[in-house]
Amino acid sequence: MIKYTLQRLVALVLTLFVILTIAFLVIRLMPGSIYENRELPPKLLATLEDKYHLNEPIIVQYKIFIQNIMRGDWGTSIALRVNVPVWEVLYSRIPITLQLNLIALIIALPLGILAGILAALFQNGKVDHLLSFMVVIFISVPSFIFATLLQYVFAFRLGWLPIIYNASNLGGSKYASIILPVIALMLAPMARVTRYLRGELIETLSSDFMLLARTKGLSRFQATVRHAMRNSFVPLANIIIPMFTDILTGSLVVENIFAVAGVGGLLINSLNASDHPLTIAILIFYSAISLLTILVVDLSYGLIDPRVRMGGAKSEQ
Amino acid sequence: MQRVSSNDVFDEKAMSDMPSEFLERIQISERPKDAELQAPAVGYFRDALVRFVSNKASVVAFFIICFIIFMAILGPGMNSFGFNEQNVSLRNMPPKIPLLTKFGIAQGYRVLEGRQVSFLTDTDRYPEGSIITVFNRRAVNGVEIADVKVDYYKLMGAEKPYWFGTDYLGRDYWTRLWRGVRVSLVIAFVSVVTNLIIGIIYGAIAGYYGGAVDMVMMRICEIIQAFPRVAGVTLFILYFGTGLFSIIMSLVISGWIGTARLVRAQFYRFKTREFVLAARTMGVRDSVIMFRHILPNSLGPIITRTMMAVPSAIFTESFLAYIGLGLQAPEPTLGVLLSDAQKVLLNYPYQSLFPGLVISALMVSFNLFANGLRDAFDPTLRGT
Repeated sequence: MIKYTLQRLVALVLTLFVILTIAFLVIRLMPGSIYENRELPPKLLATLEDKYHLNEPIIVQYKIFIQNIMRGDWGTSIALRVNVPVWEVLYSRIPITLQLNLIALIIALPLGILAGILAALFQNGKVDHLLSFMVVIFISVPSFIFATLLQYVFAFRLGWLPIIYNASNLGGSKYASIILPVIALMLAPMARVTRYLRGELIETLSSDFMLLARTKGLSRFQATVRHAMRNSFVPLANIIIPMFTDILTGSLVVENIFAVAGVGGLLINSLNASDHPLTIAILIFYSAISLLTILVVDLSYGLIDPRVRMGGAKSEQ
Repeated sequence: MQRVSSNDVFDEKAMSDMPSEFLERIQISERPKDAELQAPAVGYFRDALVRFVSNKASVVAFFIICFIIFMAILGPGMNSFGFNEQNVSLRNMPPKIPLLTKFGIAQGYRVLEGRQVSFLTDTDRYPEGSIITVFNRRAVNGVEIADVKVDYYKLMGAEKPYWFGTDYLGRDYWTRLWRGVRVSLVIAFVSVVTNLIIGIIYGAIAGYYGGAVDMVMMRICEIIQAFPRVAGVTLFILYFGTGLFSIIMSLVISGWIGTARLVRAQFYRFKTREFVLAARTMGVRDSVIMFRHILPNSLGPIITRTMMAVPSAIFTESFLAYIGLGLQAPEPTLGVLLSDAQKVLLNYPYQSLFPGLVISALMVSFNLFANGLRDAFDPTLRGT
């Protein structure tokens, strides 16, 4: 297990390294110098090129680039916050994005599980049909459409909640302003959990041990929650964790709609302002998160269900 | 009557000695009296069609998709405005649909807040008949002001109605919307078909030849798939620019891998069957065995998967537009329209409403349609 984890970690670092290399090549091989668009005097331009080693051969530039990153120096922002280290710009934004996404995921889970149980218990009934309809809508319609709708209806028209994110640290108003982005982000994962659990439970409900549980005198609800649910939880974990990457992607846009001061808005701004060092750092952040979630999923197979681990060990022999 | 019980050993001699009057001719010219098959034989696709049609939601979804495609083709030509025809004096006009004005919607009215009451009678500012109602009269700093509901078309002197209003450059929103749907659908379909072709060929080769070829090809897939989609697409567009072609290609980078894996699995399933052996014995070329003998068996899942990929392509396109990597102006796409409208959502919500409705309808319909196809092609549900 430890050996496998280490192998995967090495592979993860290698992947990040490849992404970094491609990002470097994309930025450096794009036609024109990074500073070309700015109307600078030639002497200043030469100084800048000297400072950022832009006049060196590409191989040397690459070496310097990688060396700097190894030392934890991601360069400085060149457009959004000039001369501020990229890491500093990013550092203040990451917690906000992670907070938003984790809250969305954590709220989506119990609601999705509850809806899934209800749909399975009242299979083909009115509740089930209503839930199935909602599941299709929530899974299909992109989160940024929901974000737009929620913002217009609940924030602007009804005025119940703030229109944009409130960055103040004073508890109440901050959390009120986070409600709408969280709802917009949680609908799709919630619907996925519901759809998955419904299918899984309906299969389990017709098995023999459920009949036994009912025969012992448990009610339908008790039997479902205590016996059927346990079996469905094992694979459930494996669909939940990758959903985090999906939420993160949706969060890029939703953050921008609600003006949340997170990484998503930063990426959009840095793309529009051609702030390349910042863009690279943000893309590496997103890549690292999504690679880590995949790693966690693969490792969790063995942790959640010991049978998988045994099977893996045998097949290796 | 002499009978031969079924338990008895068949006695040939007794049969031939049997007098002919005991024997009766059952059948000589008529067809066999077995029960005839009641229904004609049902093929794979016919069976799938029958089951697809019985799924009401999928059929409705199919017709919605057809309608949207129809509008994407003909919609932009339905009125006299061009998709890039700007009229800067008529910016952000509200929607006006002549047929619906009777019912009190899409009349081309707009509420102007905080107007000075003394100017309302001035026909230079407010042409005759342009004021519908005046309400919420109040005095601010001694000046009487009010909110005015005006016929914005008369106020601005617009003659022709803009069915869905105009955008921030005075371009007709109806034309732009359907043109945007058209471009979005082209992006989605071209990228999906490209993915399909690459995926089928790649998966077929990996699955058919197996062994070392398969091993190497699948490792390549894994490496490409390890790339997070957002990072890959963003870097691709940064380098190649925001043209139509580069946006389509950015959807192809990792999109074909799912199809390749699916096709490979199907080839593993079918390549050891007798019909493949028979074809090979007869000296059929590998490429013909792959694409004429094996591939048609796996068409069902491939079609389903392709349909599932369309909404995700539409999503990625609008996602790109939102993060500022959308198609270059002036060509609209659903994503470009949505992200432009988002900026003026609170002032002109109708600009978000129309593309939002269309993209939602498209996504829901394609998902329902693909679900219906999946059930229709599912072999375990066959004949039900």
